[in-house]
Amino acid sequence: MNAQNEPEIRELSYAEAIREAMDIALEADPSVLLMGEDIGVYGGAFQVTGDLVEKYGTDRVMDTPISELGGAGVAVGAALTGLKPIFEFQFSDFAALAMEQIVNQAAKVRFMLGGSVSVPLVMRFPAGSGTGAAAQHSQSIEAWLGHVPGLKVVQPSTPEDAKGLLLAAVADPDPVMIFEHKLLYKMKGQVPGGHYTTPIGKAAIRRVGKDVTIVATSIMVHKAMEAAEQLRADDIDAEVIDLRTVRPMDRDTVLSSVRKTGRLICVYEGVKTLGVGAEISAMVAESDAFDFLDAPIVRLGGAECPIPYNPELEKAVVPQMPDILAAARDIVKGRV
Amino acid sequence: MPETPQNTNLPYAIRAYSPERLREALKKMYLVRKFEEGAEDSYMRGLIHGTMHLSIGQEASAIGSTMALTDEDKITSTHRGHGHCVGKGADLGKMFAEFFGKETGYCKGRGGSMHIADPSKGNLGANGIVGGGLPIAVGAALSAKRLGTGAVTICFFGDGANNEGAFHEALNMASIWKLPVVFVCENNKYGMSTSTERSTAVKNIAERAAAYSMPGVTVDGNDFSAVTEAVDAAVERARAGDGPSLVENLTYRWRGHSKSDRNRYRTKEEINEWMGRDPIPAMAKLLMEHHIITEDGVAAIEAEAEKIIKDAIEFATNGPDPKVEAVTRDVYTTEATA
Amino acid sequence: MPVEVIMPKVDMDMASGKIMCWHVAVGNRVEKGDPLFDIETDKAAMEVEAPASGILHHAAPEGAEIPIGKAVAWLYAEGEDVGEQPSSFASVGEPTAGPLPDPEAAPEALSTDADPEPETEREMAFADGAGEGIRATPAARRLARDEGVPLASLHGTGPRGRVQAFDVREYLKGLTTPSAPATFRPETGPLVVTRSKGGKGTPILMIHGFANDTTSWAPLEPSLRHRPLIRIHLPGHGRSPKLRIRDFAMLAREVRQAFDALQLDRAHLLGHSLGGALCIALADTRERQLASLNLIAPAGLGPQINGEALSGICKATRTESLKPWLRSLVANEDLITDAYARLAMQSRSDANLRAAQAAMADVLFPDGVQAFDLRAALERIRTPTRILWGKADAIIPWKHALRAPGRMALHLFDGVGHMPQFEAAEEVGNILRSHV
Repeated sequence: MNAQNEPEIRELSYAEAIREAMDIALEADPSVLLMGEDIGVYGGAFQVTGDLVEKYGTDRVMDTPISELGGAGVAVGAALTGLKPIFEFQFSDFAALAMEQIVNQAAKVRFMLGGSVSVPLVMRFPAGSGTGAAAQHSQSIEAWLGHVPGLKVVQPSTPEDAKGLLLAAVADPDPVMIFEHKLLYKMKGQVPGGHYTTPIGKAAIRRVGKDVTIVATSIMVHKAMEAAEQLRADDIDAEVIDLRTVRPMDRDTVLSSVRKTGRLICVYEGVKTLGVGAEISAMVAESDAFDFLDAPIVRLGGAECPIPYNPELEKAVVPQMPDILAAARDIVKGRV
Repeated sequence: MPETPQNTNLPYAIRAYSPERLREALKKMYLVRKFEEGAEDSYMRGLIHGTMHLSIGQEASAIGSTMALTDEDKITSTHRGHGHCVGKGADLGKMFAEFFGKETGYCKGRGGSMHIADPSKGNLGANGIVGGGLPIAVGAALSAKRLGTGAVTICFFGDGANNEGAFHEALNMASIWKLPVVFVCENNKYGMSTSTERSTAVKNIAERAAAYSMPGVTVDGNDFSAVTEAVDAAVERARAGDGPSLVENLTYRWRGHSKSDRNRYRTKEEINEWMGRDPIPAMAKLLMEHHIITEDGVAAIEAEAEKIIKDAIEFATNGPDPKVEAVTRDVYTTEATA
Repeated sequence: MPVEVIMPKVDMDMASGKIMCWHVAVGNRVEKGDPLFDIETDKAAMEVEAPASGILHHAAPEGAEIPIGKAVAWLYAEGEDVGEQPSSFASVGEPTAGPLPDPEAAPEALSTDADPEPETEREMAFADGAGEGIRATPAARRLARDEGVPLASLHGTGPRGRVQAFDVREYLKGLTTPSAPATFRPETGPLVVTRSKGGKGTPILMIHGFANDTTSWAPLEPSLRHRPLIRIHLPGHGRSPKLRIRDFAMLAREVRQAFDALQLDRAHLLGHSLGGALCIALADTRERQLASLNLIAPAGLGPQINGEALSGICKATRTESLKPWLRSLVANEDLITDAYARLAMQSRSDANLRAAQAAMADVLFPDGVQAFDLRAALERIRTPTRILWGKADAIIPWKHALRAPGRMALHLFDGVGHMPQFEAAEEVGNILRSHV
């Protein structure tokens, strides 16, 4: 982090921190503009852009028609020709409508043209379950995009990182996809003022421990932290890593932690199979850290079904704190 | 840019462009033709391994549509984009080098036939996805408007793309935001094997402009002057800040869709009829009629084009192959994150 | 009243179990049927379920060895007053633990005799973790590799007997305890087997005793030459590698592997002392391949053993200190001449061999007690068996022979010590020859 001016730290919500980051980016660079559905006077479906349109006008806080494919493509074209768009999807699920532009265009243009162009594009995806919005408004699809060379994919878990990663994304010459968990928008946290960046591709060790490494993403970081505190009663000292970036993944932080603890639990909300945890597990299994594993790797991920509506069902299909607790106990006590 | 029209009985192109630029246009049409013939020949000799989409027969559309553009203006191109590339001023040697997959090619061997483009001349890329370039062109036009560059974007697309959702979303946004973009549809009658009659609800694709409240015209895409007249007017309108237009160039590809095409969906008669309407001799004739060039002059231009192609192939053949270990080099702008 | 949680009997000849871990912390609630704790016997590890719902208190410490049927913890009802521990934990060796086999176990053993299932289970219990298919975590493998510890010598406390880093560390800790000579450098490899020339029919497989070697069979061999003779060299003895032996089960596994490698359809077993115990263990899992079982002063039938003599032999570095202990092996001390003692010392001149045997003695006969009990196994054996013992045996009391079932033949020799094959070679030879 490189705080420059206004180093004071305030308590802001995750959504406010993102808004502040966009405000700073708009203020600092006239080529930055916001695009998305209902981000102007409405303030965004989750009130993240808020009243920025009043400060910067409709030319720089642009409402788009409900045209995810077209809108995403306009953002790609604008990014190729001198603008730095921050494109908001109303729900991450709608990325499916725009996959062509994200995957075939944004991610590949630079490569296809032999490195002669860049696509400085930021896309924001409100993601995750827990809002009772059911199957088409609750997904965690970071692994889909994490599978695409050419994209960078981040998942901030705190207000501080939400701001720092967004400002890092704006400064990045390549397309950066930011997955924001909807349940985190209201979460408060300490946020430094002014401009700073959180490095893309660098995980954060949220809690140092020696018995088991818990690599978590997004909202799961908080569940993992809660579990880690409770595990103290069992004399289990868990290390919690906030992955923060899905692509490029921070090998060093994860591997050195596993070398230390010998045990790995991956916790993520996306569907377990072929998800982020599969990549983390494989990364460890393929590395020299394998030789330090003293128990099978445990993945806690989303169930093999769409997100259901009923609140109890909805809770049951994504990992919860007690699941992490039980997994940690099992793995440390040598029961798995 | 069009020059001061004096004699309105003359065809538009003759009025609008200097003899020098017109001869240059004829040369470019020859270059496109001979590039593609050379490419086809290389393919048949087994010198390249990918497929290609040839635009032989469509040269007037590609070269005519780009006449009014500067290097600041942008284009987005299609999988049948060699002509657009030449129209936007690309170097034939680097084009062939890319075609041969060389490090010296425009895309350093990463793109191939379908992605040859020179971004430094405003070509934002030839697209392998039908309709992929439409929203991107709108984005480029948005940049021009926001940044006040005065640049216009020409968005090439085929008849097939007009049934993609991206087409409709792109035209709608260009219109609501009044962006400086010209949508040039090169209607060669077939999206692979499916004719526009079978695939498209309207008779002329230009009719769809009405749905997005923009001008739409259909012209003979093999008539260089007709193409320049329609596209130049649209470019002028865009540059003036009056928003987008749609121009439909009716044309025909002599060859199949790609090298896998067994040509089962069209008749010999149809192909022969269109080959009789070859845009290059038509252009030569136009220039000769207006004393811009002699028959010998045409022969000299053709010979010059052949020489350029010969040199280009030699340049390409002698170029180094890309290094396998550097294959991921251009995935990200910053190496560290690759 | 709290519900008493007991150490369950989960294995036929199990006398006690070790608590490996608790699945529920003291003060926490457990539901009836949920996993409560893991135990380990000398053959297997398993999970024990809560006998009732309640809150766990007074749990025996992990690692504690508790006799079967004795309390390991108590489960209290919600709100029930938790006072002093209702009774202290029983420890192994206490009279209440019952050193003799459960009287009910014998009929059970008989009734299952014809059933091949138990044998398979026994075999699996012994075979678990053997050979290339050792279940071990990558971390345990790395540690073992770095420290030169053969994986097969480790005992896994993880699920399904998986060797974990913990097990390697525990093992290494054991290496540094004072009772294990620091000079012992463990080796790896299969046991050495030697054969006599000639002989016909079913071979006789011979297993020598502790701190001895295959030369101890020499006086007897002339009587048995009509059969092919096969001698197994125990680990840390003779020409076999000096393996780090962790417990009797592991030693038995090594012998079984050597036996299996011979691929014998049928064999007579002949064992002396510790070799006798190993013959019993082998017979317990390979009975169908055996023609007869012949035990000379076998170990494993009772706790007593002359630990002083064993450690004296192990420690001795010169003829003078070895000779007095060698004399305790026989009744007629004149047989142990200076020349005999010198020869014996020569065969023990390798310090690493002595260290290996000392380490093995420490594991098999800690504090001068036989740490393994094969009476239940002997009870199960149906192969024609005879036991030969000298009534002047000063190493293992001959009365252990009386614990054999009635169907087995006993040959007891007056005025003979721990080595009848040496002191009464002809007589022993004649007896054996008439049966093999």
